[in-house]
Amino acid sequence: MEDREEIRKGLEEWREAKKDWPERKEEFRTDAGIPVKDLYTPLDTEGIDYLRDIGFPGQPPYTRGVYPTMYRGKYWTIRMFSGHGTPEETNDRWRMLYEEGETGFSAAVDSLTFSGVDPDQEVHGAAHEVGKEGVPLYSIRGVEALVENLPIDRMSVALVVEPMTSAAVTSMYFNVARERGLRKEQLAGTTQNDILTMTIGYIPWGSLKPADLLKLACDLIEYCTAMKEAPRWNPINFTTYNYREGGIDAVQEIGMGLANAVAHIEELLRRGWKIDDFVHRLAFHLSAHRDFFEEIAKYRAARKLWYRLMKERYKPENPDAYRFRFHVQTAGCSLTAQQPMVNIIRTAYQALEAVLGGTQSLHTNSYDEAICLPSEESVRLAVRTQELIQEETGVANVVDPLAGSYYVEALTRELEERIWDYFMRIEEMGGVVEALNTGWLFNEMSKAFNKRRRDQESGEERVIGVNCYVMEGEEPTPPFRTNPRAAEIEKERLRDLRSQRDNRRVAALLDQLRGVCERRENVLPVVSELTAAGATLGEITGVYREVWGIWQLPFVA
Amino acid sequence: MEKKTRVLLFKPGLDGHWRGIMTVSKALSEAGMETIFFGFKTVEGVVEAAIQEDVDVIGFSVHSGAHLEWARELVRELEEKGARGDFLLLIGGVFPEQDHAELKEIGMDGVFGPGTVTADIVRFIEENLGRKVSG
Repeated sequence: MEDREEIRKGLEEWREAKKDWPERKEEFRTDAGIPVKDLYTPLDTEGIDYLRDIGFPGQPPYTRGVYPTMYRGKYWTIRMFSGHGTPEETNDRWRMLYEEGETGFSAAVDSLTFSGVDPDQEVHGAAHEVGKEGVPLYSIRGVEALVENLPIDRMSVALVVEPMTSAAVTSMYFNVARERGLRKEQLAGTTQNDILTMTIGYIPWGSLKPADLLKLACDLIEYCTAMKEAPRWNPINFTTYNYREGGIDAVQEIGMGLANAVAHIEELLRRGWKIDDFVHRLAFHLSAHRDFFEEIAKYRAARKLWYRLMKERYKPENPDAYRFRFHVQTAGCSLTAQQPMVNIIRTAYQALEAVLGGTQSLHTNSYDEAICLPSEESVRLAVRTQELIQEETGVANVVDPLAGSYYVEALTRELEERIWDYFMRIEEMGGVVEALNTGWLFNEMSKAFNKRRRDQESGEERVIGVNCYVMEGEEPTPPFRTNPRAAEIEKERLRDLRSQRDNRRVAALLDQLRGVCERRENVLPVVSELTAAGATLGEITGVYREVWGIWQLPFVA
Repeated sequence: MEKKTRVLLFKPGLDGHWRGIMTVSKALSEAGMETIFFGFKTVEGVVEAAIQEDVDVIGFSVHSGAHLEWARELVRELEEKGARGDFLLLIGGVFPEQDHAELKEIGMDGVFGPGTVTADIVRFIEENLGRKVSG
């Protein structure tokens, strides 16, 4: 940059010449509050060394992507998150999506499956919510029906369940595969298994304490990866998407994600494993939100930071461990119930962010999701949105096309610094479990969502259909309704199961689980036997609650 | 000085989408009301607390798709306790506009779907309690 002085001089002259041209606003900022200049020039990328800081795809520091060919080799996986009513109905939807070209699946479960409650337990009106927000998977019978006639050895499935039920639901899936004559070593897929999702993102009924959730999350990582029971399975997906939905910004999203990953790494090291026994299987699930360039820079910065974390702190030998692999979901909270067709456009831009940012798989939201679960028609459009990016735009023909943009590179560096600082703040207060126990993390969320509300209500944050370009007298979108008989069907399924299984064996195994929990041993071996024997989620999670107790949330008086 | 308007807010069932109701809770406090946010609570517990605490408003949020069921249960419980009509009942959350009329028929006084501005909830409470909230 030998002509730096000339650029500086030119820039000053340019600013001087345009000073009488008014701008729309006093100041411009990104969604995370980073000031945005009027123009970015080589002066803003000073100090960025191409070989050291940007490099080549598939090579350290992975800024440009984790694989050398990226989408020239193969497209990202179209992975739609879906589930509703009963396992049979969800199976119909999955087979429809399979026909439409979907290559990965992701099971959205209902609130009972998240919390580990059976529909016939008279808990808190549980039966009202059967199949409402996702598919009910209360026993192995549910999982059998979910994947019937689907080639599970040739597809990858994400089970979106959290630590309270991750061992149980994952082992149900493994047991179903075994019934079909497959080995769990052959299965590819992911269990979400994220402790922060269940403590600051979504707060389920009867949640366990953070330290117990961390224990359960690490049990699955230990079992699948370190013990090599299911080496192709991703036993965790740090779901920063869910925290982001709570209102926080891109810096907090990745900062919390890194801190969460470190908590798991430290726990597994404490158990005596070596970093190379498990770290290569840790994966992430990020959001694609409303600030286009900031989100792209976020993905680039996250890859670089993961590399830095591994290199500086853990030094694994396996080169795969340095690759920050992630799934992206477009931001559900950016969707509006008003003028819902506009959501198609929002989602398309967000999907483009994820692709330009080098995601490994992608879920695109359906336009009706601010109102109800998506209809077949709206899901098809959401899948087409991704197919359109693949087939018609040409953006996937080149790797990391925005590298070298003065703005994107400057923003990547800025985010990298801010994220690292935020991550260190959590580390300094003792890590995520401590930050959950004190309520600090939730307070961060609460400050963020209250600020968003104020910004939207004041019009500072513009939302089409809500605080600008509002239309009166809109025709409401016809809502998709889940099966009103779902609770009856599921209760019957459990009744049948309970009358057909060996109840004495289940009771004896539940006793064993009690002992395992008391001794804080890995729950997977006995939970696998339990689910194979027909034990239900409510029974298994009931033991956890009984032995470890329920979390008293620090932020609710 | 007038009594502060007291609002009891809760999440029925198991659904853990708390952001909406916590946002409303904060906004009502900022508007000068006294809010009690329970988190998860059974309708029995809520009605009992509402009577004991002498609140003016009961509000709850449903994202699970079980909005009709929960509205009916709350009203049934209020009837059983002879407290139907003692409180202004508000429901918010994610549910289709097509269900607003039915929610009102069931007995919800205020129905607030996605995209609601919290000022509208404040105004609704003020207008329907027949007095200005203090603060």
